[in-house]
Amino acid sequence: MEILKEVTRSLLSNKVRTFLSMLGIVIGVTAVIMVMSLGAGMKESVTKRLTSLGSNIILVMPGIVGGSGGKIAQALESLQEEDVKDIESMCPSVKKAIGLITGNFLIQHRDKNTRASVYAAPSGIFQILNLKISSGRSFSEDEEEKNVAIIGQEIAYNLFEDENPLGKKIYIVQGGRKLIFEIIGVFAKTGNILMLNPDNLILIPYNTGKYKLFQSHKNVSMILASSFSPEAAESAVMEIDHLLYNKFHQQENYYRIISQEAILNVVSESVSIMNLVLLSIAAVSLVVGGIGIMNIMLVSVVERTREIGIKMAIGASRTRIMIEFLVESIMITFLAGAIGILLGILGSNTIVSAFGKAYGLKPVINPLSLLVAFGVSASVGLFFGLYPAYRASKLSPIEALRYE
Amino acid sequence: MKEIVRLENVWKIYDMGEVKIEALRGITLEIREGEYVIIVGPSGSGKSTLLHILGLLDKPTKGLVLMEGQDTSKMKDKKLAHLRNRKIGFVFQSYNLLPRLSALENVELPMIYAGVPPRKRRKRALELLELVGLGNRIHHRPNQLSGGQQQRVAVARALANDPVFILADEPTGNLDTKSGEELLKLFRKLHEMGKTLVVVTHNLEIVSEGTRVIRIKDGMIESVERRGA
Repeated sequence: MEILKEVTRSLLSNKVRTFLSMLGIVIGVTAVIMVMSLGAGMKESVTKRLTSLGSNIILVMPGIVGGSGGKIAQALESLQEEDVKDIESMCPSVKKAIGLITGNFLIQHRDKNTRASVYAAPSGIFQILNLKISSGRSFSEDEEEKNVAIIGQEIAYNLFEDENPLGKKIYIVQGGRKLIFEIIGVFAKTGNILMLNPDNLILIPYNTGKYKLFQSHKNVSMILASSFSPEAAESAVMEIDHLLYNKFHQQENYYRIISQEAILNVVSESVSIMNLVLLSIAAVSLVVGGIGIMNIMLVSVVERTREIGIKMAIGASRTRIMIEFLVESIMITFLAGAIGILLGILGSNTIVSAFGKAYGLKPVINPLSLLVAFGVSASVGLFFGLYPAYRASKLSPIEALRYE
Repeated sequence: MKEIVRLENVWKIYDMGEVKIEALRGITLEIREGEYVIIVGPSGSGKSTLLHILGLLDKPTKGLVLMEGQDTSKMKDKKLAHLRNRKIGFVFQSYNLLPRLSALENVELPMIYAGVPPRKRRKRALELLELVGLGNRIHHRPNQLSGGQQQRVAVARALANDPVFILADEPTGNLDTKSGEELLKLFRKLHEMGKTLVVVTHNLEIVSEGTRVIRIKDGMIESVERRGA
């Protein structure tokens, strides 16, 4: 207690110097906190975005061939309805699988028209993808062959502007034919996620699409599947891969499997690597700050040589002198750590409110990271204060008393 | 009277490489309770070295220093610091108060090292400042006090842990005549209260104050003069 009082007094007696010696640590801790909170925030916002359509999603797409020797690269029509069934029934980690038929069409309403991706999917799509509908409803199993459609926000705006699109009719133009569809729902605005953009999407029942619009037989454009859990995602991917590999006579470029889990892992890994790099840079600043503290403390030892001598003469042991100096440097860095944490929180919030809002970025301040910041700054104080404190304690009291 | 400090054949030799300086050459003396010992000698006589050894700030090259019968030569720093804290009260020529602390806090400092609880510490410090005539200056910093006042604060600090003797190094050296006389009066008062005083000086006026005058020359005791009272 007495030591704290004494140290506080000595720090206060030299405010400017105390402040300046803190700066390095303040900056270091600020940087650490900002990196950690923004990094965690980034990870969280990316994850949130990637999982906003649901979790455990696996996408199977046909392979792309050609692209060289004068051939135009083209997606194969390799995936078939029975593959969907097989994936669902033969892959134990797969919870559900559906086939989708997709195409790009001209869409008309009265005198307006636009282009959109049309997805024909069974109502099971709503069990895999968390497609939010802002107005109207989705279609059910009994409507698999009806001409109903759910449209994205962008299409709604292009065709209807401010009018309510529900109940309105649109034409999907296929070659010379026009198919009429009734709008029963509008998707909530989401943006592009996992190669899918619900804003520019028209979803129609699978059989309607298969028989009336695409007139395909057994081919599907892609397969959407879900695993039972994030942990099962990897084995689900392996099972699907194994299944298709055998089916396509070991031609692995006939198909591509993309799992949300894998994407998430890549994202979180790259964020972690970036964090690590930034943290090491911040750590350099902590070391520099620590050296600054050591410097100041060494000057302070010389300056207070006489004081140390007096204290020794009236009964302070060397240990006591050492502790006083150590406490002083730890206190400087601890205080600097506290200021740094405040500035870091403030800084990351400022950055987020200035640039991050649009991306849904929020700083995530982990209590553990605060603890770590405090711990690190106090240890920097301890480490870099050790030598000056040792020097102080080794002064000869006679020399120290003689010092002017 | 009880023996407090005893030096037996104490030598202090400074090894300066090619030359060796013999600052003390076989000093033997003892200080007894209630004495007022004056150590005088010209500069370079070994006075300061003797003072440092008496104050346990330095160790002799040869010989024994016994503090209340205990041999101090093998003691560790912690033990020596403890003895300096409890048994010895230092008064320096240049006061040596801590500039950031008030008079009161300066007097409390040795008691902090001794682990005296705050309330008791404060009470004792106030009593001591009252004793040295500074009861109305307790919250002043050293730079707000005159030299004489600072030296009296230093005396109060020296008395804080009720030491067995007070060791003063040229206590009047930086004081004007009047303040010097006041300090000597204070010393007399302490002596009358039964305190043991050891004053190292070359101020001949103090000499008449002591019960024993030890003259040092060339690192040896030249003469010892016992006086009445």
